[in-house]
Amino acid sequence: MKTIKLLATTVVLLFSGVNMMNSQTTGLQVMQKVYDLPSGKDTQAELTMTLINKQGEKRVRQLKQYIADEGSVEKKIMYFTAPADVKGTSFMNWSYSSAKDDDQWIYLPALKRTKRISSGSKGDYFMGSDFTYDDLGERHPDEDTHKLLREETVDGKPCFVVESTPKAKGHMYSKTITWVLKDTYIGLKREFYDPNAKLLKTLTIKNFKKISGVWVILDTEMKNVQKNHSTTISLANVKINQGVPASKFTERSMTMGQ
Amino acid sequence: MRQPYYFILIGVLFSVMLTAQENKPVFSGFVRNYTGILTKDMDQFSILQNTFNLNVEYRGHKTGFKVNPYVYQYFDKNIDFGLREAYMDFYSDKLDLRVGKQQIIWGKAEGVFITDVISPKDLSEFLLRDFEEIRTGVTSVKLNYHSGNHTIEGVWVPAFTPTLMPETGSIWAPKLSFPINPTWDYSTANKNLTVANSEAFLRYSLMSSAFDLELVGGTFLYDDPAMHLTKQIDPVTRQLTSLTVRPDYHRTNMAGGSFSVPVGDLVIRGEGAFYDGRYFQTVSPTAADATIEKNFVHYMAGLDYTLGGVKLSTQFIQERVLDYEVGMNNDEVETTMTFLAKKDFFRERLWLELFAYVGLNNEDALIRPKVSYSVADGVDLQLGANLFTGNTGRFGQYDDNDMLFMKLKYSF
Repeated sequence: MKTIKLLATTVVLLFSGVNMMNSQTTGLQVMQKVYDLPSGKDTQAELTMTLINKQGEKRVRQLKQYIADEGSVEKKIMYFTAPADVKGTSFMNWSYSSAKDDDQWIYLPALKRTKRISSGSKGDYFMGSDFTYDDLGERHPDEDTHKLLREETVDGKPCFVVESTPKAKGHMYSKTITWVLKDTYIGLKREFYDPNAKLLKTLTIKNFKKISGVWVILDTEMKNVQKNHSTTISLANVKINQGVPASKFTERSMTMGQ
Repeated sequence: MRQPYYFILIGVLFSVMLTAQENKPVFSGFVRNYTGILTKDMDQFSILQNTFNLNVEYRGHKTGFKVNPYVYQYFDKNIDFGLREAYMDFYSDKLDLRVGKQQIIWGKAEGVFITDVISPKDLSEFLLRDFEEIRTGVTSVKLNYHSGNHTIEGVWVPAFTPTLMPETGSIWAPKLSFPINPTWDYSTANKNLTVANSEAFLRYSLMSSAFDLELVGGTFLYDDPAMHLTKQIDPVTRQLTSLTVRPDYHRTNMAGGSFSVPVGDLVIRGEGAFYDGRYFQTVSPTAADATIEKNFVHYMAGLDYTLGGVKLSTQFIQERVLDYEVGMNNDEVETTMTFLAKKDFFRERLWLELFAYVGLNNEDALIRPKVSYSVADGVDLQLGANLFTGNTGRFGQYDDNDMLFMKLKYSF
């Protein structure tokens, strides 16, 4: 299934220490380790997304995000706080461990109405950023064919380098290449290639930190190398396993904006 | 300006705000210039309006309030100041109580009012106002009971507020045809503030993975007036000598519901309502005052879909008069469709949008192309057109009102 890990978890990569693999390590094993890393029962964070164009001009979006893992379903709700023209908008996503499509709703304060929206467009860019909904999600290893290309160091840190090719035809990326830290299994860098096998985007993790026992990515950058624009995402006030009530993921909560 | 007691209410609410112990009040709103010209005479403005809209909201742990004053300034008429909303909130684990002037929006239809009957419409610019401005607030008490994703909502509206119609002489005033110049009698148009004239509504709503559902009911005074005619006929010449028009608002009962359900990449929406008794105009000689009461149903089926990054939406809407009689001004069945296509460019900096109402009975339409450009965060420039086609019908009657417009909006 495709769990859309919107933002925060996005870049999510919340990874604990894992034993080193032996020389028989395969690409699938590496990516399965990445996928299996725990992300906590619930997460709260304030998120700042900065869109930077090729002239260096910045547009900033800010939101609060709550995520809870309820077993077979992972629920997220986001409250937009800036800029002013989207303030008060909220977005909720329920993602299932089964093959069921995600459920998504949006509340627009001008309409004063919660509207169900289609979750089919995972290739769409989120809020005009360089991240698609799919980029922000947690892609199951079974959806791709993985190949361990090599081992190399990035900034002096040893990494596995894994190439992942989608099994399904028509995917927006022909392949991705991921640099995974050998000690923590954090994905440190990822390259995305377009359908013509040309490099399209590069994802780079800038800062990560252990919070309440799990690794959290705090700063990340996605750069579109073909169009020369980028998006950074920064998390602040991150709280893990502090308890997010079920009532947070309701129409009432979307309407109230908290 | 009107209703100066609003200032007193604002003062009281600000006092509450200043003594609030928990969160800070939040100020937001917008300033907007809206300029339109008629295409039939490019020298004539259809609208030249400046708007200031302020939202002051406070939300504490157990209480909150919101005040939404607005000012419309025009080039050709008096400044219009009012309160779109002014209410207080009281929260508990399961119950929310909201008291005061508020907008209450029900249903799943977009741009169409089927079960969405609590907040009266502001039709002073026909259907052209932005969504948050086309519904007026209504003084009411709203109580919500929540249990998970189930909600029961009860609304009591003590004072009747009718649809706000265009002023006499406005280009949006609906065309009324009388054989002679009538005398207007407003003796029954102003409803007394009595419990008997109050309105009550009930809604059950569910948000679930499989579908969203609303079931609604209400007893209320219908917001649009019935025009009761009294004719004086000369007994000798049999000519009509005088005509009196008496607008009146009549009670009706409504039951209905709406749903939305995801099916693959589609979202299917539906909404319907049965009205137990609504007044219609008729020329039937058996109707003494040119009105007749009939039951009425109003329903919609809609689809939302995204294709190649273009958000598409369409709705099929029908209004059906039950036990229809010849002579009624309305058609027995009136069918309307809506279409929406919307796409963004340059990372949500530029939006192209096309929205259209199409009336199938009269082959008329309102077509609304629009380009929006985000000049900076919170600053939007819109260029668009409102194009009416046809000669008769809900949209065709405004065929002379085709307009081009520009809106510059600063949100804060």
